[in-house]
Amino acid sequence: MKTVLNALLFCLVMLPATLMAQSTAKGIVTDKANAMPMPGVNVIIKGTSRGTSTDFDGKYSIELSEGEVLVFSYVGYTTQEIVFTGQTSIDVVIEEDASILDEVVLIGYGSTKKEDLTGAVDLLKAEDFNQGPLVSAQQLISGKIAGVSVTSASGAPGDGQNIIIRGNGSLTLSSNPLIVLDGIPLDNGGVGGSRNPLNVINPNDIESMTVLKDASATAIYGSRAANGVIIITSKKGKDTDFRFNLTSSTTVHTAIDRVNVLNANQFRDIVTNHPNADATTIGLLGNSNTNWQDEIYQSAFGQDHSFSALGNAFGVPMRASLSHSDHDGTLIGDNFQRTTASINLSPKLFDDHLKLDISARGNYTENTFANRDAIGNANTFDPTQSIFDASSPYGGYFSWIDTATGAQPNLANTNPVALINLKDDTSEIRRYIVNLKADYKLHFFPDITATVSTGIDESNSNGRTIVSEFMPTSDPIWNGSRSTYSNTSTNKLFDAYLTYKKSLNDIHNITAVAGYSYQSFEFDGYNYDSEAEEIGTDFELIDKSKSVLLSYFGRLNYDYDGKYLLTATLRADASSKLNPDDRWGYFPSLALAWNISNEDFLDSKNINDLKLRVGYGQIGNINGLGDYRFLTRYNGSLSSANYQFGNSFYQTYRPEPLNTDLRWEVGSTLNVGIDYSLFNRRVSGSLNLYQKQTKDLIAFASVDPFTNFGSEIDKNIGDMENRGVEFELNVIPVRTDDWEWSISYNLAINDNEITNLPFDQATGGISGGNGNNVQIQTEGEAPYSFYVFQQVYDTAGKPIEGAFVDRNGDNVINDEDKYIYKDPYADVIMGLNTNLSYKKWDLAIVTRANIGNYAYNDVSAGNSYLNGIVQSTNNYLTNIHSSYLENGFVSQSNENTFLSSHYIEEASFFKIDNITLGYTLDNAIKDVSLRFYGSVQNVATITDYKGLDPEITGGIDSNFYPRPRSFVFGVNVDF
Amino acid sequence: MKNRMKQLIFIAAISFFMTSCHDDLDQNPIDPDSFTEQDVFANAAEAKSALAKLYASLALTGQQGPAGNADIAGIDEGFSQYTRMLFNLNELTTDHAVVGWGDAGLPDLHGLYWSASNDFTGAMYLRLAQEVSFTNAFIQNATALPDEEAQTFIAEARFLRAFAYYNLIDFYANVPLVTEITTDLPSQSSRTELFDFVESELLDIQDLLLDSNEYGRVDKVAAWALLSKLYLNAEVWTGTPRYTDCVTYSENVLNSSYVINTTDANGNGSAYDELFLADNDTNGAQNEFIFTLNFDGIYSQTYGGSTFIVHGATGGSMDPTSLGINGGWGGYRTTKALVEKFETSEIDLPALNSSLGGTLSDWGLVGDLNNWGDPNEDGNPDEDADIEMYEISTNQYALYIELADGFFKFRFNEDWGVNYGDNEADGILEAGGANIEVTAGTYLVTFDLDNLTYELTEVIAEGDKRAMFYTDGQTLEIESIPQFTQGYAVTKFKNIDSNGNQGSDGSGDFVDTDLPIIRLAEIYLNYAEANLRGGGGSIATAVDKINELRMRAYGGPSGNISSGDLTLDFVLDERSRELYWEGQRRTDLIRYNYFTTNGYLWPFKGNQLNGTSVNSFRNIFPIPTNTIATNPNLIQNEGY
Repeated sequence: MKTVLNALLFCLVMLPATLMAQSTAKGIVTDKANAMPMPGVNVIIKGTSRGTSTDFDGKYSIELSEGEVLVFSYVGYTTQEIVFTGQTSIDVVIEEDASILDEVVLIGYGSTKKEDLTGAVDLLKAEDFNQGPLVSAQQLISGKIAGVSVTSASGAPGDGQNIIIRGNGSLTLSSNPLIVLDGIPLDNGGVGGSRNPLNVINPNDIESMTVLKDASATAIYGSRAANGVIIITSKKGKDTDFRFNLTSSTTVHTAIDRVNVLNANQFRDIVTNHPNADATTIGLLGNSNTNWQDEIYQSAFGQDHSFSALGNAFGVPMRASLSHSDHDGTLIGDNFQRTTASINLSPKLFDDHLKLDISARGNYTENTFANRDAIGNANTFDPTQSIFDASSPYGGYFSWIDTATGAQPNLANTNPVALINLKDDTSEIRRYIVNLKADYKLHFFPDITATVSTGIDESNSNGRTIVSEFMPTSDPIWNGSRSTYSNTSTNKLFDAYLTYKKSLNDIHNITAVAGYSYQSFEFDGYNYDSEAEEIGTDFELIDKSKSVLLSYFGRLNYDYDGKYLLTATLRADASSKLNPDDRWGYFPSLALAWNISNEDFLDSKNINDLKLRVGYGQIGNINGLGDYRFLTRYNGSLSSANYQFGNSFYQTYRPEPLNTDLRWEVGSTLNVGIDYSLFNRRVSGSLNLYQKQTKDLIAFASVDPFTNFGSEIDKNIGDMENRGVEFELNVIPVRTDDWEWSISYNLAINDNEITNLPFDQATGGISGGNGNNVQIQTEGEAPYSFYVFQQVYDTAGKPIEGAFVDRNGDNVINDEDKYIYKDPYADVIMGLNTNLSYKKWDLAIVTRANIGNYAYNDVSAGNSYLNGIVQSTNNYLTNIHSSYLENGFVSQSNENTFLSSHYIEEASFFKIDNITLGYTLDNAIKDVSLRFYGSVQNVATITDYKGLDPEITGGIDSNFYPRPRSFVFGVNVDF
Repeated sequence: MKNRMKQLIFIAAISFFMTSCHDDLDQNPIDPDSFTEQDVFANAAEAKSALAKLYASLALTGQQGPAGNADIAGIDEGFSQYTRMLFNLNELTTDHAVVGWGDAGLPDLHGLYWSASNDFTGAMYLRLAQEVSFTNAFIQNATALPDEEAQTFIAEARFLRAFAYYNLIDFYANVPLVTEITTDLPSQSSRTELFDFVESELLDIQDLLLDSNEYGRVDKVAAWALLSKLYLNAEVWTGTPRYTDCVTYSENVLNSSYVINTTDANGNGSAYDELFLADNDTNGAQNEFIFTLNFDGIYSQTYGGSTFIVHGATGGSMDPTSLGINGGWGGYRTTKALVEKFETSEIDLPALNSSLGGTLSDWGLVGDLNNWGDPNEDGNPDEDADIEMYEISTNQYALYIELADGFFKFRFNEDWGVNYGDNEADGILEAGGANIEVTAGTYLVTFDLDNLTYELTEVIAEGDKRAMFYTDGQTLEIESIPQFTQGYAVTKFKNIDSNGNQGSDGSGDFVDTDLPIIRLAEIYLNYAEANLRGGGGSIATAVDKINELRMRAYGGPSGNISSGDLTLDFVLDERSRELYWEGQRRTDLIRYNYFTTNGYLWPFKGNQLNGTSVNSFRNIFPIPTNTIATNPNLIQNEGY
């Protein structure tokens, strides 16, 4: 600091004298580690755009004036500044930046140097995040890390993002990773009316995200970490002068595609010539040409603004931020508004013996939910009808009418525009997270630090759904409805642990952690329904539960001379969800690593880092399991399910299914990995191979019905295995004064297989028929494999209606002829990202590919046959999917037709997720830097899949809210 | 030292906190709808709610109504309702019903090609087994209650358990016999062992059940009635005929206070349809119901039960409001095999016209009935010949005729020169007057040429009024099962009461009508059949009882039979006529060895248009694949 000041002073003094005199400075730059010349080192004159770089022999030469400052920089090395005072030769020795080697990575209950990591861990810092108008935190890392897939649930603004790390490892339990925000494990379940539990944090507040992938890394977090951990660190206050940051962006979302259904002319034609159509049927046709999908989608606007301040206030480092987002959805009526505020104080007291971290963050989200029923109805509503009909009893919206009841026919579809306009569904969510963390380095024994962390995470949502009295329904006495709900979920956390850190002769380094954690989860829900009130049944419902998770944990890190590393952890978890005998689970892990690059025999010129890791760990899982499953409970009926004795209706008590020996689902992961960094770190990455075996999978599975009170309960039933390879490669092919180009590529190959399951589990409900399932969990196959009849095709490749292969040869086509045909999981997931900068310009492109994933095209399967158009009741018409024009199916009333292999389509894709172009003005005004950028999201998708979007979570494509293409313009101001 | 103290206090505080938190692991339900065993069996009044569940689990599907918090998982909740499954397994598999829906495993039932993983056969197993485990838990817990009332509850629970096993014997033959709460996987019992258990339970509780009970709860007559059903099928189920016992217990029922409903509350000429109306718990029908399952459009909602049977059978051009509902689901119809079992269900026009005793005249009817308009499509109004009327006395003409919706006029000698219409629709004719409007129906048309008046009198079909079919726009023959308009629709069950009013749910979604599971008429038929099969009793009583049913059906003695008519096949057909769509048919056909054999074929039996026999293993349903996988003690029924 002092030298810098001196240098500045010197500059100021010398500046006027030297302005006129231009001289040449030259020299050689060498690497301190090996005294070799360094090519490619940037040599820039401070405060100007003039500069050069060293040649192959490490030499440079540059024109400058006396008093100007030369800056020597090279990625991964400390930057040097030298004031030019007329020296003829300036040779510089630069050295590797220890702070990069010492980059600190958060692991559970502590942190470690990146060099000392023993598990499969990825760290992404703010500068690595995806750019653009990213409303949710999950999107920041989409496509960036091998083995981490992030899929948005729908195209709705602010909607949830499904993160899966290393494939699906469970059958019915949650597969989402644990998200830890500043030490507080977040409740991923969320509350009713909330679109995304991570809406609590403004993406601009995130400093870094660390993804712990293998069990040796996650084991310390215990049972909630079975599917990996994402540690989010928010930006903290710094001990500097105040700096401010302002960002603002505007977005246009456009709906890009439509489901292929018959247009009005095709529809009119088919109805008129329909074999089941009589004069009444044909008389139902209208004279309009309405594309119902066009009527429910729009181009929508969005904006995001955030402001933050950080610095030292009254001797306390602090940061505060405020943000506001407001996005409309492409489905008309959808709106998401979020305001977040956060404040963080990190004071240090008692000669830095006591470090406090206090943060509070809150968000207020207002959702207006568009009526998504309109999506399906827009596909099926008669395109020959107009939106409005002056004679309609339903507020002027055209509706089918059953002349007998005067209301909409019982099973008829509803005018999509009426659905959108006549239902009002809103919610407000208030959530706050407050936490206090105190690290106290013991005065009397400074090797030990005591840490206490407490937090509370409370979400409250209030929502209401009002359906207008004009909404077309089949209820002849319909007069509108109003339902409201209020949910509160409160999670409390108390962690206490001791950290012991000791180094003997700088060779034996030991860190040991031992601690205790208590978490409680309370849920309190209340619902009210005006219709129920009107008819006199239960109109107020209360739903309450509480569970507790108690843990002890310990970790030992041993590091021998920076070369040999060992991490061992043990976690004991007890959950109130399990019976007292099986409640405690003990989950150990052990990992070893060898920093080969720290060995003398290795060429440290070209190999900067090379580390071999082996880790093994066990983790229990009960995520998403209900409460009290082991207790005999009776459930009281609601008043619409009472039973009549005499003239009275009695509430009924039902014994609930119970499982007294529910145990932890235990996953054991073996991970072997290499981390590498080569050629002055211009090439780096990692390779991981893993195998995860999950025993005692918990699934909602059949029980013997004579000896339990239900047919299915949560039960430990089988085993599963996940295997995979992950590869990451980051390359910087070009780095000159003006240009820098980096490419990062990641590849994950994953294979899931159920290795033991005593009996099959049908799953994957579809819209065709009632109760049809298209997926199955079965031994020897991937979970959620499609289980269908094998379609027979004619010689022209057209599917023959109702013709299936009699696979068991018994001359009857029934359930026993179904077979496993593909699964919804991609075999290979890749990400390819590139960043290119030229002077003040920067360009980033993010792309992804999934290969080998399949989807059931429910939109086409459920609704693409001729007889679907005309109804037996002859009082309404239904549009069908255009695939009828190809297949010519007449009737789909045989359930087998829905369950045809024909509708399982390959959904491999290549997506350009994001292209961002930015321009930075460093000193636009004094001390103010500005960045402008434009960005396009969801740029392009290349796929053979025939539905709207091949990226379907779970593999069943049913009335999907299409993801929009978004155009963003934003500005970022630092001052 | 002071520091030390502080630290000690700090550590002590943390330790205390940690220990107290261990107790926090013992969480108990805090939801207001959740009760413990102690709450439920605190006294007889509370236990009555647990008893209500034992009945309700046969009528409803979950604790929320109509759907939500289901009893049975893994199947659409509405599908899992007992009487809906009973219909699917016992009626849809027979000549009584076809269904057009494409739900997985449903078309398999009528086609007789189901597999062991069929959802419907599987869910019925689960429903009945669950009834057994619910009743076991009830019996075990209620035993400790001191009240006498609780003892009655237990006897009723034992009846319901016996009823569940009665069904299990019928459907699955060999299932585990479990009579107490246990977590041990049970072993399979033989059909005979199960039969013996049901018999001994019913014999045991006949004296523990009340002489008569409140509506909806069973009394001792129910035990006798179930014994009658059990003994009737004993030969099929155990190989040992028990017809004498069947007659004995049927007689007990016949001599009980239950009576056949003869109150024609809606005055339509028969007291039969009252049994299936929305107010059948009060309109007199309840006196015939020995065991019912009760539904209510507001307080007992389900997508099964009577809601299912009324909506599911409504479609085509049927007017849903006439059935008290807001619309049909367009699924179930019947085959001609059932329709043709009803005698003289059509009006015999030639016979009626000849009974007029007149001769055909030159006066006739002209109108839509004989292609008034332009049948040649040559652009000139013309018509076929008049339908001539009978001159029954001078200038008095009459004719029985079936008319469609439309118009007609009276005309002389196929010439518009002399024709009469009715300008004011007042029954007085004017020469060249306006067309006379008529709605579809069969009429006696009279024409008085002297006074220039006419009358239309609708003729109601004589005969068996149990034949409640909707035929307009429906074909009798079925070529394609998915088409609702093929096959007659059945209007036996309605959600309107005896006064013609819709049931209690104003929206028309949920139906009030209770469903009789055992009613006195069935026991009449059991008695007759057991008598014919050599069980003793009196043939005269049998004929009397059957004539009692037929008197009600015909609204008079016109359908009565004599003892010579009473054959086994006649009884089977009579069961069809009396009990169709009440969940009995498959069991009956099996008893007559008609279900799988070619002794009796119906449309689409064995998935063939004209019907074909199937392998006899289909007399028994498979044990669900998943249940076998869960319990390795179980052996699958032969053939599956």
